[in-house]
Amino acid sequence: MDNINQVEILIVEDNPSDAEMALRAFKKNNLTNKILVVEDGEEALNYLFCKGQYATKTKESRPKIILLDLKLPKINGLEVLKEIKGHPDTKIIPVIVLTSSKEESDIIESYQLGVNSYIVKPVDFEKFVEAVRDLGFYWLLLNQLPRL
Amino acid sequence: MSANKDNLQFRIITLALLMVAHLIAFSSPDTLVAHNYSISYSTFDTILIGSEPDYPPYCIVDEDGQPDGFSIELFMAAAKAAGLQVKIKIGIWEVIKNELADGKIDALPLVGRTPEREEIFGFTLPYLKLHGAVFVRKDTKDIHSLRDLTEKKLIIMKGDNADEYARRMNLSEDIINTNTFEEAFQMLANGEGDAVITQRIMGLRLLENMEISTIKPLDIQLPEFRQDFCFAVKKGNQKLLNQLNEGLSVVIANDTYQQIYFKWFGPAIKEELSTEDIVRIALFIFFPLVIILVVLWVLLLRKEVKRRTRRLRNEITNHKNTWHELTLKQEKLAASEDQIRLLLDSTAEGIYGIDENGDCTLINKSAIQILGYESDTEIIGKNMHNQIHHTKVDGSPYPKNECAIYNSLIQGRGAHVDDEVLWKKDGSNFQAEYYSYPIQQHEKVVGAVVTFWDITEKKRTEKELIKLTEELELTVKKRTAELNEKVLKLDKSQQAMLFMVEDLNRITAELKNERRKLELSNKELEAFTYSVSHDLRAPMRAINGFSNFLLEDYADKLDQEGRRYLDTIKKNAIKMDKLITDLLSLSRVTKADLVYTTVDMEQMATRAFEDMATTNEKQDFNLKIINLPSIKGDVTLLTQVWQNLIGNALKYSSNSIEKNIEITATDSKNEVVYKISDSGAGFNEKYKDKLFGMFQRLHRDNEFEGTGVGLAIVKRIIIRHGGRVWAEGEVGQGARFYFALPKQS
Repeated sequence: MDNINQVEILIVEDNPSDAEMALRAFKKNNLTNKILVVEDGEEALNYLFCKGQYATKTKESRPKIILLDLKLPKINGLEVLKEIKGHPDTKIIPVIVLTSSKEESDIIESYQLGVNSYIVKPVDFEKFVEAVRDLGFYWLLLNQLPRL
Repeated sequence: MSANKDNLQFRIITLALLMVAHLIAFSSPDTLVAHNYSISYSTFDTILIGSEPDYPPYCIVDEDGQPDGFSIELFMAAAKAAGLQVKIKIGIWEVIKNELADGKIDALPLVGRTPEREEIFGFTLPYLKLHGAVFVRKDTKDIHSLRDLTEKKLIIMKGDNADEYARRMNLSEDIINTNTFEEAFQMLANGEGDAVITQRIMGLRLLENMEISTIKPLDIQLPEFRQDFCFAVKKGNQKLLNQLNEGLSVVIANDTYQQIYFKWFGPAIKEELSTEDIVRIALFIFFPLVIILVVLWVLLLRKEVKRRTRRLRNEITNHKNTWHELTLKQEKLAASEDQIRLLLDSTAEGIYGIDENGDCTLINKSAIQILGYESDTEIIGKNMHNQIHHTKVDGSPYPKNECAIYNSLIQGRGAHVDDEVLWKKDGSNFQAEYYSYPIQQHEKVVGAVVTFWDITEKKRTEKELIKLTEELELTVKKRTAELNEKVLKLDKSQQAMLFMVEDLNRITAELKNERRKLELSNKELEAFTYSVSHDLRAPMRAINGFSNFLLEDYADKLDQEGRRYLDTIKKNAIKMDKLITDLLSLSRVTKADLVYTTVDMEQMATRAFEDMATTNEKQDFNLKIINLPSIKGDVTLLTQVWQNLIGNALKYSSNSIEKNIEITATDSKNEVVYKISDSGAGFNEKYKDKLFGMFQRLHRDNEFEGTGVGLAIVKRIIIRHGGRVWAEGEVGQGARFYFALPKQS
């Protein structure tokens, strides 16, 4: 990523295969926005709150959307979500949770913490592409964020 | 004679009045002053008085024009007695009255005393009492009382006390005043008025003189117009008043008054004082006085009599008391002796007294009775030790020096014995208890008194009691022993119980431990499941996803066989994912807590069909759901049951020509059996035990795809609800699945 201040989509995913599939799904849907993939919860929070390796990032630049896996090293997805939705600077960013199974109880808790939507990561890639397309259109193209 | 008598009465009354007047006078300070003046009354003074010309027979003028009349004559006599010379001036009443008030004349001989006049005049003792009367014409019929005068025209001489009286009493509004009564009567006779009020006698005389016979006085009483006539002086002229009073008293006392009275009124008129007055005076003055005196005298007498009576009575009482006391003392003395005797004889205990030698001096009835004698004469004077105390209980003689009674005599101390016998007259003995106390006189023992009673019965009872007590003790001992034994047994069983409790506690602890372990492994299992759902699927996704990328990006470099391989990889990855999903739901069934609610089974089955069937299947299948009763159960899990069973029915009917699904239920007392029948592939009954086993399949995958988990899940759910599940079927003939759920959860 050349410029960390121009990120539009933040993907928090520790599994590089899943991350790649997600990127491919965006690409296949012609959503060519600037995407940053971070591999754990800590890095995600550092990025969002301009800390650690992202200390140079300007606070004003915010991603348009965050795709958040729940099972993450160091700080798990629910904790990351809690931070994002608990902070006035970030709580407005739409967060889409990526889950392995729709039956997971985590989904309920995610909603309680203020998640905007979720995508079940299906084994069938075609279905995944469809899901990303639907959500991407909505959150990136249709849903206008208020200016801060 | 009657006139004399009346006159006498009058004089007495007048004297009495004078006395009373003097008494009153002496009691007031004015009297002292008057008295001083009276010292000088012997000096001859000349006074000027006024008189009326026509007030017969009191004040008139004679043929020579000289004043005359009763009052004039009386005044002259009184003045003379008082040493006064009198000049008389004639004038009409109103004029001379004013002249006296102004001090132009010194006195008037005839003035009626009224409250109004007392303000301006001083009055002597009254020498005449004159009554008023109402004079009317004889033909007047309508005047019967004073009240009838109200509307009438009255004619009265101006300033006369009749005038004052009429105005004071407000007799009429219409009063004509004249200068003289002569004038008034003339007017009445002429019909110029209705009535004249004036003094009765004067009125009658005047009418006689005027020779008027058409006027008469009425019998109406004028109580307020009964006038006392006196001499009058100007108020404050006390000296003259005293002199006139003196003079008047003198003329009344020396019969001059009576002579003048006779001259003017004759014996026939007794106007001045009526019998009623005398009676009244007597009533009010003499009788009360006499009564008071009598009462006082009587009171004094009574007091004296009372005093003497009291003294006598006291003396009598004292004598009586003394006599009574003496009698009482005598009676008491006699009674106390009797009393003592009675007391002794009434006592249940035997009592006897002995002298210093031990001889009986006294014995009571009880003692005589207990000892078997008939009268005290048999014992009195006998030595009591020899008589009743001579032998011990064992038959040996009882020497006197050992006897407690003797010792009490000798030592002067009381004794109490209850283990000896006394002897009766008939030679038998009885067990006795006795007290012996010395009798002391002048610090010397003169005898003893012995109180005793038969204790044979008491001793027997005591013995029985002792025996009973012993028996009781024995029983108690026996019972105690039994009880102890029981307690011992109880202790033992308690001990056993305690051991059991200990065991129980140990087992409970073990159970708790096991449960903890179980909870721990459950948690591990959960973590494992989570891991499976998350981590195990990620590689599947990668395999599938990247196979896809390969097919998309490198399709031109792969031949048909290569593409088939990749498809197979993809299919297997998807099948693995399905397997994982089923495994997860199985674990959930095992894990989840049941939440019981009333479930509408018919609705639930219908919805499950809607969810599971594809659009084509919904068209192809003939579904019948008939009367499914509601039941208590967990909504989520029972939904899973219907989904799995209906899913199976759909799947295994897919190759059949007939596509029927029928769902029915049998309601029995304790449970409801639900049945789902299809016309699909059916199964071989031989393998029906394997149907509900985990990962067990009766069909090959190329016939019907599956993981072999669905029915295992159904079985688990039904069993967790406390129900049963089973199946029937034949190959090619369809299958029938049953599950029964209890009505009471």
